[in-house]
Amino acid sequence: MHHEPQRPAGVCCTGRVTANAAVSTGLIRLDLELEMPAEFLPGQFAMLNPQPGSAAFVFNRPFSIYGIDGQAVSFLYRIVGRGTAAMGELVGEDRVGFMGPLGRPFPVREDDRPALLLGGGVGLPPVAAWLERWGRDGDLACFGARDGGDAPWQLLDARWGVSVDEVAGVPENRTAFHGRVTALGADRVAGVKGPGLVLACGPVPLLKAARDLARDIAWECWLSLEEHMGCGYGVCKGCVVPVRVDGPDDRTWRNATCCDEGPVFAAADIAWERYALPSVPEPGPGTMEAKP
Amino acid sequence: MTPPAWWRTDPTEPFVLGPRVMPGRIWTASGCFGYGLSAHDVTAPGGRTPYTGLGAVVTKTVTPTPRGGNPMPRLAELPTGALNSIGLENVGLDAFLADTLPELERRGVPTVVSLAATQPQEFGSMCQRLAAVAAGFDHWHGVELNLSCPNVAEGGHDFGSDPVTVAACVAAARPHLPDRALLAKITPNVARIAPLALAAQEAGVDAVSAINTVVGLEVDLTTGRPVLPRRFGGYSGPGILPIALAKVDELVSSGVTTVGVGGISTGDDALRFFALGVVSVQVGTALMRDPMAAAGIAAELTPAVR
Repeated sequence: MHHEPQRPAGVCCTGRVTANAAVSTGLIRLDLELEMPAEFLPGQFAMLNPQPGSAAFVFNRPFSIYGIDGQAVSFLYRIVGRGTAAMGELVGEDRVGFMGPLGRPFPVREDDRPALLLGGGVGLPPVAAWLERWGRDGDLACFGARDGGDAPWQLLDARWGVSVDEVAGVPENRTAFHGRVTALGADRVAGVKGPGLVLACGPVPLLKAARDLARDIAWECWLSLEEHMGCGYGVCKGCVVPVRVDGPDDRTWRNATCCDEGPVFAAADIAWERYALPSVPEPGPGTMEAKP
Repeated sequence: MTPPAWWRTDPTEPFVLGPRVMPGRIWTASGCFGYGLSAHDVTAPGGRTPYTGLGAVVTKTVTPTPRGGNPMPRLAELPTGALNSIGLENVGLDAFLADTLPELERRGVPTVVSLAATQPQEFGSMCQRLAAVAAGFDHWHGVELNLSCPNVAEGGHDFGSDPVTVAACVAAARPHLPDRALLAKITPNVARIAPLALAAQEAGVDAVSAINTVVGLEVDLTTGRPVLPRRFGGYSGPGILPIALAKVDELVSSGVTTVGVGGISTGDDALRFFALGVVSVQVGTALMRDPMAAAGIAAELTPAVR
């Protein structure tokens, strides 16, 4: 049974940008020097505001913590919207709002079971941080990229297997598996004496494939979910995930707050039949679709 | 900020509200700071905490039974605010009284409990139970009746927009709260807000909290459909500040004791409400970006800290 560790206390401050540079065609590493020291457990995240002290952003943006060393903290991100576009503009000495660490971490390593780590894109930091903190011989680390150019090769040492959807851009001195990262994981885990742990972070298709792989090999599975968040610390209830309940009444599921009760969940706890369903409203009479 | 010459109040000093002495005038708004416990271990440079100088935490609204809330997505960020459709997700009164309120008391968090119900008499029974459980609590200061949440469509109408119903809700709650402050949070989604507030005041509230969120809608241009599954949501944040000030001015001019809410994210924003004559203010959406926001405003407006 997994014992949840005591979460480190959160700090709320700003950080000075010390580096903000591309590590692949799509991924950018941001390093900050915080005003005060912080700690974290792998799988935890922080809320960042690229323009603190202004009203430019109503909400901060959540990012998994890649590493913290005293006051130095690092993240990986990809420009996908207005917030990350503003982060892409940050230069040395700019200040970033920081609140963290937040959320439930991955399980701590408590036994000798091997771990299969699966990270896709910006899902690398939580699993990489776990490997850095608790990794040992026999663990299997796999990173999935869109193509060879999208993989941050200098962050991926010899422990890492890399998969690519497209083979273009793989450096000559590196090799990559052509296919999904979960297929690479299945390939590498074959023959490994289990049971072990599967820890994964990435988009929903990756998480579902990781869940299926873990089920097929009867390994325990923990997933770090990537959800849009409002507050990041459990007060707004804007990032809920359906989880199974075994209550005395007829309810079989409830909404769990992803930022506080997650972002790491046991795969077995998620009510998958209700998770990540499209919940788009019906078109109204005034929409284009309703017109002849 | 340099506070204006007319501002001489220390918002961290106690003040009298009805039968209760409230610890201060800077509060957190309901729905924006959870139950007041989520940030209890957060610290900032200088050892400040999210609770430093707060007059009250108004809790997330509690209903008679637990509510699971609305489907995702529940939030949309807009250029000058946020649109939400949370659906009053909450743990229900039983769990709140058994676990949450005792923990707030143990931690010494000044608390105003926000309650919602679908029938006026339910407010009475909820307040009766609350008063029975928390009669000896020093840090439970009052109740705010949420008469205006626009997200809950039960019964198909917003019962908080009818002065007669508002008065019935207040009248049901008041007898159970002889030594605690009673407030009603009323909707701005009406042509004139004063009749609702005057009905609440005549029925016995000590103050009216105004405003709650403004009904809004956002369209996703990639799909051509509303962003929120229920189409409409509650709009909050800096964009509603002038709307809130106008509604508050209408209330204060009508002789209503008012707690100002709506779009406050700086000390200057809070001062605009105090200039109109409110007795206290609540900080809401700003807390979602910064749990220190309300404490920061309290510090900003405290004479010794200026």
